[in-house]
Amino acid sequence: MSAGVTASGTATVDDDLWSAIGDPTRRRMLDLLLTDGEGTATTLSQRLPVTRQAVAKHLGVLDRVGLVRAVPAGKEKRYRVDDEQLARAAAQLASVGSTWDARLQRIKRIAETIHQNQQD
Amino acid sequence: MEYGTIEREIYIDAPPEIVFEVVSSPGHLKEWWPDDAAYDTVPGSPGEIVFGDRDADGTVVGFTVVDARPPESFSFRWTHPVGEVAAPGNSLLVTFDLAPKGQGTLLRMTETGFREMGWEIAVLEEQYREHNTGWDFYLPRLAPYVARLESSR
Repeated sequence: MSAGVTASGTATVDDDLWSAIGDPTRRRMLDLLLTDGEGTATTLSQRLPVTRQAVAKHLGVLDRVGLVRAVPAGKEKRYRVDDEQLARAAAQLASVGSTWDARLQRIKRIAETIHQNQQD
Repeated sequence: MEYGTIEREIYIDAPPEIVFEVVSSPGHLKEWWPDDAAYDTVPGSPGEIVFGDRDADGTVVGFTVVDARPPESFSFRWTHPVGEVAAPGNSLLVTFDLAPKGQGTLLRMTETGFREMGWEIAVLEEQYREHNTGWDFYLPRLAPYVARLESSR
């Protein structure tokens, strides 16, 4: 998948971050980790329609972009959501306008132009 | 099933009849969104919208009108593969509600279904639209999700 920001010059790390969060299974995993506080590939796979191996792979992706951190405990790694990285993602989010805002502005402009022309 | 929702409201200095035309007719849709649009404003009737060049490397996605009640409400599903029946799980539901306000119209837009959707649709539109940055498209879709994450921290 080319989660491209090719024309934007946005930092690669951000691209990876959003690609990581863009997968529905990984979002679901983040949900579960936030709800439960922490989880392992085994505990997460028990609550998702995917194999433990698949979950482990997804956890690897989330780990690489810093959205989760592995906590050494026992035989299996325990994962938690990294609050700082999540907050960083949210801050980026807040600073950028919405595509729907742009579309609605265009709708407004078109409708008002039609209305004005009808009154002239 | 969980839903994410984007909600927006905007005042337009034109009567609801005109605004309804602009948000619902294929001809106007092309002016504010896709590069091409082909659909009937009949509920359930299958249609499509096109980003980029249909005959080159453009992308065609499904567009199905759910409800059309001029001049007060228009809703449709999009992003489902062309040929598939639009339903929760394969498409996003967009609803426009129009209410008279003063001399104009208060237009309210909601888009739901994000949490069921894959990432691909964001990627495809990002590739064809004139965004200042790719995030302009990505981020609004993530807004409901991240807001929820934030509130649950």
